[in-house]
Amino acid sequence: MNQTVHDELVEIRDLRISIHSEGSFFEVVKGVSLSIRANEIVCLVGESGCGKSITALSVMGLLPADVAGVTGGEIFYRGQSLLGLSPREMRRVRSEEIAMIFQDPTTSLDPVFTIGSLLKEVIRAHRDVSRSEAEELAVRALEEAQLPDARKRLRSYPHELSGGMRQRVMIALATALNPAVLIADEPTTALDVTVQAQILESLRTRQKERKMGMLLITHDLAVVAAVADRVAVMYSGEIVEEASVNDLFDNPKHPYTQGLLGAIPDITARRGALHAIPGRVPPPQVTPPGCEFAPRCAHSIESCWEEHPVLLPTSVGKLRCINPQPYST
Amino acid sequence: MKRIIGRLGYMLIVLIVSSIAVFYAIRLSGGDATAAALPGSATEEFRQEFRASIGLDRPIYLQYFAYMGKILRGDPGRSITNNASLIEMLKTHGKNSLILGGAAFALVFVIGIPLGVLASLRRNSWADHGIMSFSVIGMAIPNFWLALLAVWLFASTLRILPAAGCCSPKQLILPAIVLAFEGIALTVRMTRSAMIENQNNDFVRTLRAGGLSEWRVMGKHVLRNALIPIISLAGLRIGQIVGYALIVEQIFGWPGIGQALVTAVLRRDYPVAQFFSLILVVLVVLGNWLADTGYTLANPRLRRSK
Repeated sequence: MNQTVHDELVEIRDLRISIHSEGSFFEVVKGVSLSIRANEIVCLVGESGCGKSITALSVMGLLPADVAGVTGGEIFYRGQSLLGLSPREMRRVRSEEIAMIFQDPTTSLDPVFTIGSLLKEVIRAHRDVSRSEAEELAVRALEEAQLPDARKRLRSYPHELSGGMRQRVMIALATALNPAVLIADEPTTALDVTVQAQILESLRTRQKERKMGMLLITHDLAVVAAVADRVAVMYSGEIVEEASVNDLFDNPKHPYTQGLLGAIPDITARRGALHAIPGRVPPPQVTPPGCEFAPRCAHSIESCWEEHPVLLPTSVGKLRCINPQPYST
Repeated sequence: MKRIIGRLGYMLIVLIVSSIAVFYAIRLSGGDATAAALPGSATEEFRQEFRASIGLDRPIYLQYFAYMGKILRGDPGRSITNNASLIEMLKTHGKNSLILGGAAFALVFVIGIPLGVLASLRRNSWADHGIMSFSVIGMAIPNFWLALLAVWLFASTLRILPAAGCCSPKQLILPAIVLAFEGIALTVRMTRSAMIENQNNDFVRTLRAGGLSEWRVMGKHVLRNALIPIISLAGLRIGQIVGYALIVEQIFGWPGIGQALVTAVLRRDYPVAQFFSLILVVLVVLGNWLADTGYTLANPRLRRSK
């Protein structure tokens, strides 16, 4: 779609993340490489538990230190390694360079402070401005996130706002400092369907206006089709396919991607059976020697169970599959 | 606001019910007022006359109404052992109790909250284990025993603090700490668990993503949320302090309401025992109301609800 000038902002290179619980370690992100360029929306899709959110958190340096840690790979922002930054330097990067919006706006805002004090606190943590200047910036951020009555809302508490309004506050909070990259982790999942489209639209408007690079994590393929420039499909801690949104939807190559697309119910086929991918994501403790998807794959051949496929470039993107099948609906 | 006023209504009901309970309990506690007030040689006739003179011969509910009427007019009467004015007694003893109780109440939070926060931030460290062991000990030791230990250590052995007496700052230290000890232990525990619970909230991640320092995230936002349950139980701490004051004032010879009450009960001085029991009830109920008000004010989700 949007093949204009690309400037790589974030580059994730062979990222590995392990979780430890009760004395045992297991890898949940197994060598993910992904880049986010200016003025594009990259969608990261996959089932829950496949490692999408944890990959995003690691870019922000927000992995819960007591349970998870980066065990390999690199994350660069404009060519600079983020993993080597001191906590103070990382704090500056957060929301000034890379900002993040979370899934559930009902629990993501501190309930005992007003919207205004929250926004002003974040603004003043990064900018040397007076209270009244911070207030003006806060109002502007809320207005740009299309929150009605922005100035009046400064004195509201989160519980006094609806879910959609709260998510607008989250967007304002994340974009108040003009970050170059915006990571949105399922920003519409917890919202009413009627509000989802509005929030998505307002996110995309902000992204286009500011020419931000955006990483949108979702499992909703309708969202992907609506906003994505590029799509990366993740399965069990690995990227299995990556392509532009048109190529991926027209011609998915990986059986898992094909399964995801096939699972979208067709509104024109009345009372047709719903399609699901058989089986479930393997628990991270178990690592099969071959392809992670082989146990659920209809096209697996013997070598799928023996050798682990590598992510290889294709004519339109990248693919991790040794026996790709043509896609038929 | 409505909530606060509603609670005020509950408070009145509690006060009325407990005043009846106190009134009956004192009368049921046995013993005879005349035994304390009159010499052993007094004749039965004279005793009857004495009872009639202070209204003890009337039915108990009439006595209650008469008594409450007098209290509401601001005339609780006089001690029957030394004829001292109860209002005067309340002034001197009440002031002493407020100093001791206030100091203990302040210590509960000034010591309890920072220790709890520290334990939560250094979870499973030596500091945490140390603080939590201290907290277990604090809850397990009965305060009269703690009082004796404290007197033995600081007054008899180290000789750095006076063993008893009133009312210099130095004399205040031991009784205030003993009185606060269990409250501190409980507050440490509550603060730690409330902090840990709130550290797992989603909003913490949002604040960190906003680039706020850990100090701000923990010291301002998490603590402010953790304070809500702590404030809501502050009323219990007041009740605890009022109750323990009976014992601690006795041990340290601190002439407060508790000490006056114990003395009055031992002497069967009905008016004093009754009046000061009522005062303690009022203190506890008022404390609970204040804590509830504080809870409502601290929690914006309740503040503006109707």
